[in-house]
Amino acid sequence: MNLKKSRNVGASSSLNGIDKQDAESKRKKKVAEITQALSVTPVDVAALRRMAISEGGLLTDEIRCKVWPWLLNVHLDNMPEQLGEVDRENNKDYNQVLLDVQRSLRRFPPGMPDEQREGLQEELTDIILRVLLKNPQLHYYQGYHDIVVTFLLVLGERLATALVEKLSTHHLRDFMDPTMDNTKHILNYLMPIIDRVNPEVHDFMEQAEVGTIFALSWLITWFGHVLSDFRHVVRLYDFFLACHPLMPIYFAAVIVLYREEEVLDCECDMASVHHLLSQIPQDLPYETLISRAGDLFVQFPPSELAREAIQQRSQETASSTFKDFELASTQQRPDSVLRRRRREQQSPPAAEAKKGTLVAVPSSARRFVRLAVMGLTVALGAAALAVVNSALEWAPKLDLHFFP
Amino acid sequence: MADVESSLEFTTSLGSLPPPRTRIFKIIVIGDSGVGKTCLTYRFCAGKFPEKTEATIGVDFREKLIEIDGEKIKVQLWDTAGQERFRKSMVQHYYRNVHAIVFVYDITNAVSFRSLPSWIEECKQHSLGQEVPRILVGNKCDLRHAAQVGTEAAQQFADLHSMPLFETSAKNPSHADGDSHSSNSDHVEAIFMTVAHKLKSQKPLMLSQPAGAQNTVTLQSRREEEEKGGWNCSSC
Repeated sequence: MNLKKSRNVGASSSLNGIDKQDAESKRKKKVAEITQALSVTPVDVAALRRMAISEGGLLTDEIRCKVWPWLLNVHLDNMPEQLGEVDRENNKDYNQVLLDVQRSLRRFPPGMPDEQREGLQEELTDIILRVLLKNPQLHYYQGYHDIVVTFLLVLGERLATALVEKLSTHHLRDFMDPTMDNTKHILNYLMPIIDRVNPEVHDFMEQAEVGTIFALSWLITWFGHVLSDFRHVVRLYDFFLACHPLMPIYFAAVIVLYREEEVLDCECDMASVHHLLSQIPQDLPYETLISRAGDLFVQFPPSELAREAIQQRSQETASSTFKDFELASTQQRPDSVLRRRRREQQSPPAAEAKKGTLVAVPSSARRFVRLAVMGLTVALGAAALAVVNSALEWAPKLDLHFFP
Repeated sequence: MADVESSLEFTTSLGSLPPPRTRIFKIIVIGDSGVGKTCLTYRFCAGKFPEKTEATIGVDFREKLIEIDGEKIKVQLWDTAGQERFRKSMVQHYYRNVHAIVFVYDITNAVSFRSLPSWIEECKQHSLGQEVPRILVGNKCDLRHAAQVGTEAAQQFADLHSMPLFETSAKNPSHADGDSHSSNSDHVEAIFMTVAHKLKSQKPLMLSQPAGAQNTVTLQSRREEEEKGGWNCSSC
């Protein structure tokens, strides 16, 4: 068994009536559980997080309006009744925001009348400028508008403003620095995660020198820029809002790993691999991948990857010495030694793993798959809970005090 | 809606698999946000104008297989984000091994023209010197009535940095309000083909125009080139 496509695992329902009924009753049960968690005093935020992560997420935009504020610890009673006017001209980012919002047509539902869309685009501009004006430490980046539009479409202007502000000073804070150095640092987590699960894919990508920019828009828009179906976008937002701010990078890794066959079949050069990976398939099995990302997070928490991520950075600043550096450092990096040992230990008996799908499955991958299967079949809840709990623990540089 | 990302499919359908030693020309397209870099590269690679484009985040990649003098060549276009923060720390990886640079400004936006020196500086910092062929493209000339950058000023700048200047529009020619006899779609094609020819020959990038005439390439001269057989674009 391998990490690659196994579409049927999580998405085989609705094939027959029984499954359909089952799905419907599951859904009803979930709605009831969410309602329950919202009605108790104090509100059961941990339960809401679990609901946001587990299969189907928060189900409807109506529920999202009620639950997302809790996931971000925004209290509705503290919100101003009226939104202030925005001084558009006095804003250093105004021109860029306008340019990006005007071009964001694809983010709105296809059938929406122009007039309505234009009204929403005005609101979108206002939300962005309002948050930026109030928080001069935040800097606009292209792609921020893709996140804000999602909140606007789900929540409406008033609620979206409050939530986006909170999100911007927390989850998105690193992306909004004056420079993108911290964003780049977060992208550096991608390759170590891939390496843990499938060293072959990792090495292939390193050899192609593909870099990580193919995942940049995924990370800084929470996939809002690249997924065309809005339902998928909000489902992912449920997940990311309930999790550690680094979860989007785990999800990015899971997508790459899901496409491992395509990657390895690709020509091993920067252009081909970049092109392949930056074209995100629109039919991803989201629930399965969400569950895998959660599992990966538990297995390889950010704290464990931090050292490698930093190492990656030092490699970049001196890219000419990249190879030498790696050669020299492989001897000293304990985990690479471990990995080599793992590779030596595992001989052909990979056949025992599954019916001849792969010649040699790295043991780390097998270990992961076991966990993933467990996560899927036993109950996503366990893994999800671990993700939620660990959100508090692994936060070396991200401000997480708002997690209850 | 035109799928901006389908350009690769388009190009691979041009012919069977390229022979194993197809030469690759890597061209980076840079310039301020909103000047039309995505439109230009899409137009060249997919052979049509995109209906709508969005902000480019990071770097997009497009390619096209062309043929010059019987040789098949893969032209790779790296379409970059215009916002300054992206170029500072993100895009440098993509400056490596670049064969040519296309600078783009918007003739209706003086700021985008005034930014050109900083884009040139950017290239210098990434060790792309004068020896790397470069061209200057003034985009959106379908909006001539709203022009803020005159051809003469642009030509002076181009001369100063020894690069040829092209003025074009990546918009569908049927929308053009000015010189209706010109076909800008051919023009976009010609711009990138000029670069490809230059790279193939590695000769000075001078176009066959009467000495002393302005260096701005007009469609007319392009047509003449084609008739002389100087252009051999597989998609024409």
